[in-house]
Amino acid sequence: MKFKVLYYVNQFFGQVGGEDKAGMAPEYKKEKIGPALGFNGLLGDEGEVVGTLICGDNYFNENNEEALEYIKNVIKEENPDVVVAGPAFNAGRYGMACAGVVNAAAEMGKKVVTGMYIENPAVDHAKGNAIIVETKDSAADMRNALPKMAAIVKKLMSGEEVGTPAEEGYIAQGKRLTVFAKDRGSKRAVDMLLARFNNEEFETELPMPVFDKVDIAPAIKDLSKATIALVTSGGIVPEGNPDRIQSASAQKWGKYDVSGVDSLQEGGYETIHGGYDPVYANELPDRVAPLDFMKQAEKEGKIGKVFKYFYTTTGTGTAVGKSIEFGTEIGKELKEAGVDGVILTST
Amino acid sequence: MRLEQRRIHIKDIQLGNETSVKSGVLTVNKEELISKLKEDKKIKDVKLDVARPGEKTRIIPVKDVIEPRVKIEGDGNGFPGVSTKMAQLGDGKVNILYGAAIVTVGDIVGFQEGVVDMWGEGAKWTPFSSTYNLVVDIIPVEGLKPHDHEAAVRLAGLRAAEYVGEAGRDVEPDEVKVYEMGSHVEEAKKYPNLPKVAYVEMLISQGLLHDGYIYGVNSQLILPTLLHPNEELDGAVISGNCVAACDKITTYQHQNNSSILDLYEQHGKTINFLGVILTPELTTLEGKFRTCDYTTKLCMNLGADGVIVSEEGYGNPDSDLLMICKKLEDNGIKTVLITDECSGRDGMSQPLADTTKEAVAVVSTGNVSHVVKLPPADKVIGNDKAIATLAGGWEGALEEDGSLQCELNAVIGATSEIGYHNLTVKLY
Amino acid sequence: MENTFDYDIVTNNPSVKDKYENIIFVDGGFKDVLFKVRDLVHNGAELINHPLGASIRMFFSPYRSIIIREKSEGNSEINKEYYINTIENSIENYNKQMENRNPDVVNSEDYSLIDENLLESAIGEFKRMQN
Repeated sequence: MKFKVLYYVNQFFGQVGGEDKAGMAPEYKKEKIGPALGFNGLLGDEGEVVGTLICGDNYFNENNEEALEYIKNVIKEENPDVVVAGPAFNAGRYGMACAGVVNAAAEMGKKVVTGMYIENPAVDHAKGNAIIVETKDSAADMRNALPKMAAIVKKLMSGEEVGTPAEEGYIAQGKRLTVFAKDRGSKRAVDMLLARFNNEEFETELPMPVFDKVDIAPAIKDLSKATIALVTSGGIVPEGNPDRIQSASAQKWGKYDVSGVDSLQEGGYETIHGGYDPVYANELPDRVAPLDFMKQAEKEGKIGKVFKYFYTTTGTGTAVGKSIEFGTEIGKELKEAGVDGVILTST
Repeated sequence: MRLEQRRIHIKDIQLGNETSVKSGVLTVNKEELISKLKEDKKIKDVKLDVARPGEKTRIIPVKDVIEPRVKIEGDGNGFPGVSTKMAQLGDGKVNILYGAAIVTVGDIVGFQEGVVDMWGEGAKWTPFSSTYNLVVDIIPVEGLKPHDHEAAVRLAGLRAAEYVGEAGRDVEPDEVKVYEMGSHVEEAKKYPNLPKVAYVEMLISQGLLHDGYIYGVNSQLILPTLLHPNEELDGAVISGNCVAACDKITTYQHQNNSSILDLYEQHGKTINFLGVILTPELTTLEGKFRTCDYTTKLCMNLGADGVIVSEEGYGNPDSDLLMICKKLEDNGIKTVLITDECSGRDGMSQPLADTTKEAVAVVSTGNVSHVVKLPPADKVIGNDKAIATLAGGWEGALEEDGSLQCELNAVIGATSEIGYHNLTVKLY
Repeated sequence: MENTFDYDIVTNNPSVKDKYENIIFVDGGFKDVLFKVRDLVHNGAELINHPLGASIRMFFSPYRSIIIREKSEGNSEINKEYYINTIENSIENYNKQMENRNPDVVNSEDYSLIDENLLESAIGEFKRMQN
């Protein structure tokens, strides 16, 4: 019997339309559409794509719960063995949607495979659950990505061992597994040294992690005379989100005058963050960014002054490059304004 | 120096009324060995047992493993500076009961680990499941201080190895290995174009149950020191470390140090092997700085082009390992590290306690937190209460069928950081 | 040449507390000892020995004694940063190790004894370096 695959794509790959259709709600078609068709061909006699889920990227990211509810229902009804999404290449919103779909499917006990470019911010969201085939940064790589995804799906279904990330072409999930090697450790060490002498390629068995090192700032000598600013990546904004900061994969940050209020709650703030349940943050936004506590500390003389402006953006799905940009810009402003310290909260 | 290692292949061990090797069968005079060990007034009783490869036997808690040998030509039978008179090691002929091992068991403290399973799943994870093991369980007199208890067990193991080794004195070997290397000047003349390589062997040197000895000198007290590789192969270094079961270097592994042997294998072919620098892993930070500087200086004075550094333990020794690596690389010496890692049960955590970007070539000998399942044994040699220690500390370790889930951490020699075993870690 | 051994021992080990005078006693676990040392180091104390043991087993110890020197003079900025990094990394490491484990309280007495002995060795090592 053939195993059953359910396929997820966005409005573009689902052949509905471009950016103008990005707001479309999810639809399910018992057909093989776009990449699902090519993927189906690669499965041969072993498996079959039973249908294609299509959803607009904006819809998915802005109506996450509704979109997932629909998708989960389809998964439940079709009861596939595997859910495949994408590949999303370097598309941030599409990537986040693929991550959302595979995570939900994994939670339902399905095997899941997707494909992304290594720098797609959604990689971090999906790699815990899914095998993510590494693709190039554009759709031109479709013809390389699909065969790798299909090969992995076939192995997952036949119970054959899936090889290492390098062998199979997927992004490492970060699990370091202890296995038996052909040679003992000392022999491998000697071979590695000889390779270095001969300028041959060698692969370290324990790559050192690369840290983005931030030097520790000197301590604030007297907190009671210091000006402290409040900054968050927790997506807290004034009601109505006047600057239209994105709920995920943020492209900008905002700053708001909080000098006249004793708490964010009093100031009428809410969350637009797409990565957590908003109920408790909306009830009391100070839970995410504790302006209430800071103002209290200011009154008690524990800190000299709370800086006039509160800075905010959304951290979820936001690319590292963007974060560095935001941090540099905000840091520059604060420094010029003579701020001594910052309380930075995330979620 | 020229050392001839003459291997007598041992195919079984029996306890009996004489001590001899006949047709590969080692017979040990039980009463004689026990009474010999009991000459030490600190020892109240000794129990002897044999564990053979394939038997459903578990040995716990293992303190040390020693290879029984006898020096038939040249100075220094036994372990000079520890169990015998001082002598220069490294030259001569030694008869080795190859395939046999003395395994000492002694629960100096309650939390000691150290399993050797002789069969099945457990056997894969330790190199000492394939040796015929004479297990020496040492019961000390009451009221002995831990330092004295540790010393008594350590010496008893060495004495037992000497006593048993004697049985091979007049036996013709099945195999002869020759390890020969002249002075640095001579070897450089012979191999002027080969890159020069030193081996830095780090030793835990931090106090009770955390010590190593070189010709009987506690390594806490030394500056890094240079040995001819033959000296270590001839018994100059012994273990006093018995908390880190998976990555401690047992005396057996010093006698058969795989890093030394694999470098020797390439000597004169692809490299010019300069020797072994024994480096203490001290506990103070100033001590670590000094050790790092001094080790690097020795490597540079020797003109090393490349260095292999092996660690012992995990935690604060990671600092030494990476500091030494950084300093060697900064001085243009190509460095390869051998270490195990601690990347958590799921393998998702940062593997080392410290990091440096200069460590570009690292051999990983396994994740000490990797969980293995050990089925129940038919026979336990040693203290079966120690099994409770293995099972302790976390939920679900002991299963209904009597199987035990434990971390590699508890298995002797599993993740040997001198690269004695064949585990590695792959990223998935 | 400095000849006085002006150091303090941060410990939660009762038998160490009774044995030495220069004690900063922490009523808590291994982790609390690390936290106390962190606070002291951030306030300028010098870290004399490494906060971690030399094997995984010693992470499970309920007791730990760490030697520091308060108001240490002549520490360069590089040294201070090294001490801070060392203690902060040690705490992270400790948390990582103990995520699925509990301190091995069943063998408390033995750990107390080993900690006491390792401390004695560390003090010996420190003194050998100072004279």
